[in-house]
Amino acid sequence: MSPDLPPEPSPDDAADVGRREQSDAWNAFALVASGVTVWGGVGWLLSEWLDNRVYLMLGILVGAAAALYLVWVRYGRP
Amino acid sequence: MLAAEASEEFHSPGPADFEYPQIIGGFSKPMLIIVLGTLAVALFFYFAVRRAGIVPGKLQFAAEGFYGFVRNSIAADAIGREGIKYVPYLATLLAFLIVLNISGIIPFLQFPVTSRIAIPLFLALITWVIYNSVGIKRQGFGGYFKNMMFPSGVPVAIYPLLAPIEFLSTVVFRPITLTLRLTFNMFAGHLVLLLCILGGEFLLLHVGGLIGYTAGAVSILFGVVMTFFEGFIQLLQAYVFVLLSAVYIGGALTHEH
Repeated sequence: MSPDLPPEPSPDDAADVGRREQSDAWNAFALVASGVTVWGGVGWLLSEWLDNRVYLMLGILVGAAAALYLVWVRYGRP
Repeated sequence: MLAAEASEEFHSPGPADFEYPQIIGGFSKPMLIIVLGTLAVALFFYFAVRRAGIVPGKLQFAAEGFYGFVRNSIAADAIGREGIKYVPYLATLLAFLIVLNISGIIPFLQFPVTSRIAIPLFLALITWVIYNSVGIKRQGFGGYFKNMMFPSGVPVAIYPLLAPIEFLSTVVFRPITLTLRLTFNMFAGHLVLLLCILGGEFLLLHVGGLIGYTAGAVSILFGVVMTFFEGFIQLLQAYVFVLLSAVYIGGALTHEH
């Protein structure tokens, strides 16, 4: 192995950008799945407690919206 | 008459085909493939560097090319300069995964061991331990979770909404998605191959006639095509697993934004 370090990847490199986008996509998926699980779970608990299915639906929607916002904050913001 | 018909019925392959009987004393074919795969990886690197020279032999050249690929295209890209430290883990992981995935299309082995959830799960847990401990070591226990759960540039009022999502996504969903993506890619791929080959065999041997022979031949041919495609998927999924491991380590080292 040669002792020299590889050069810092330049952000212009198309292959590098592609790789980063691919991993960003998987992270975004994890965020949305997590958002629906957390707030959908809270909504489910509420709907069990208050005996009203509306909370489950609200929880899932709020979780999905919050997660999508988070995806935008992390990866979509210029 | 009914009995004869029943015995000629086609049984489509399913999850039961992923359970192998024991050969001797609890030792089954998937275990054998793991042992062979581990040996193959270990021997490959051992013989590649045993007599390492300035002018590399063929094996050394292959190993250095492989290692260089992990270093330059995975570690340097996803982690940065600090990635050098993690190349040994990432390279070993990639070699191990390639061998265990590709065993699905190697004659006689013909079973991707990574379609059994225990193997990807365990490897994902190793990655999980590494990126979390690296993050805690670098940013401190509080700092790591603070940077993870409270991204900057967000109105403070909605932190309660976002923080649990970030926490669950990083701590729970990352290892789960890492595991499931690899497991079910291998599972589904193997199932498709089984269906093409076993279905083709059944059509040729038990159905016959114009339809049986034509459809059977097409099915077997498609199985051959899918075998090559499956080889590509197996390499790609091994790469994705390792790339995401590197991305997680990189993310823990430098808190985002």
